[in-house]
Amino acid sequence: MAFNYDEYLRTDKMPTLWCWGCGDGVILKAFIRAIDKLGIKKDDMCVVSGIGCSGRFSSYIDCNTVHTTHGRTVAYATGIKMANPDKHVFCIAGDGDGLAIGGNHTIHGCRRNIDINLILINNFIYGLTNSQTSPTTPQGMWTVTMKRGNIDPTFDACKLAEGAGASFIAREKVSEPRKLEKVFVEAFKHKGFSFIDVFSNCHINLGRKNKMANAMENLDWIDQITVSKKKYDAMSEEERKGLFPTGILKQDEEALEYTAMYEKVKEAWQNNTKVEL
Amino acid sequence: MSLMKAPENTPVWTNENNCKACDICVSVCPAGVLAMRPDPHSVLGAMITIIAPESCIGCNECELSCPDFAIYVADKKEYKFAKLTDQAKERAKKIAENNYMVLGA
Repeated sequence: MAFNYDEYLRTDKMPTLWCWGCGDGVILKAFIRAIDKLGIKKDDMCVVSGIGCSGRFSSYIDCNTVHTTHGRTVAYATGIKMANPDKHVFCIAGDGDGLAIGGNHTIHGCRRNIDINLILINNFIYGLTNSQTSPTTPQGMWTVTMKRGNIDPTFDACKLAEGAGASFIAREKVSEPRKLEKVFVEAFKHKGFSFIDVFSNCHINLGRKNKMANAMENLDWIDQITVSKKKYDAMSEEERKGLFPTGILKQDEEALEYTAMYEKVKEAWQNNTKVEL
Repeated sequence: MSLMKAPENTPVWTNENNCKACDICVSVCPAGVLAMRPDPHSVLGAMITIIAPESCIGCNECELSCPDFAIYVADKKEYKFAKLTDQAKERAKKIAENNYMVLGA
């Protein structure tokens, strides 16, 4: 016996269109295992994805799926969740989709603390359109738009989500699929906005000109820039430079969830009173 | 949990229609069970091969790390996996040094 992924996949679409060794496939696998572990039925979940390589997620998972416009995953998902508060809604966005063009939707999703699970596939580059600088591209790296090295300062997606008010924030990487699955399980169980920043490899478009042209070299580089939260907390400010903590960074079960608050608004209208939170 | 039936007496098996020869499974295998063989019909000119099934320790790393749903490992309850030997570790090292290709090919 082995785990049967085919039950959750549109098998006629296999093999995937992703490049060889692409981290998106590992995330898809971890996602399926997490869904299976929690026993979420395919009819009770909806996967919303945007544009980019990560956008193909909704084509491969066999459940209710929406392949939306560029950057608007959280906006569509908010509508879906408001209309179906008892269903599970998952957003898959890339770093360009969720932080650049859709950055605004991401922060307001976090602020409302609506029960959406946003998986941000962070591969540090615009992969689908061939190597343009993304908001997370490290400084000094070659990209098509910055051929002499990227000068744009990078930003930390988890800190953004924390500032915006998400109640569950985690960071993981594709080189540790077991931990990734565990974090997904915790995130999907959480009531409120779950923000998961997954470091993924794009050895084709990021690695090709940055001396990591195969998947293993790119994964090694990701391992070098990440450190577990426990170790990170023990480090001095000087040592933390250029490193990102992994694991569950914030988990607030007390924060009020948006669809639950909206129910109170409905009650207030029916009783002609003011909403009490 | 949905399960698929394993071929009889097989610790690890592959789906060659899905494999894109990215080498990740070979790089994560601690026991040198997997390697790439030359294959002119594949885009990258290689294809996954199981060269030493008897050494498989059932760690499941290859299955979890495969992005393309191309490799499966049997359940620990159904198949008695081997223990990790020095010989297997040595073979894994040699395969990695050989650019993840089958030794002697």
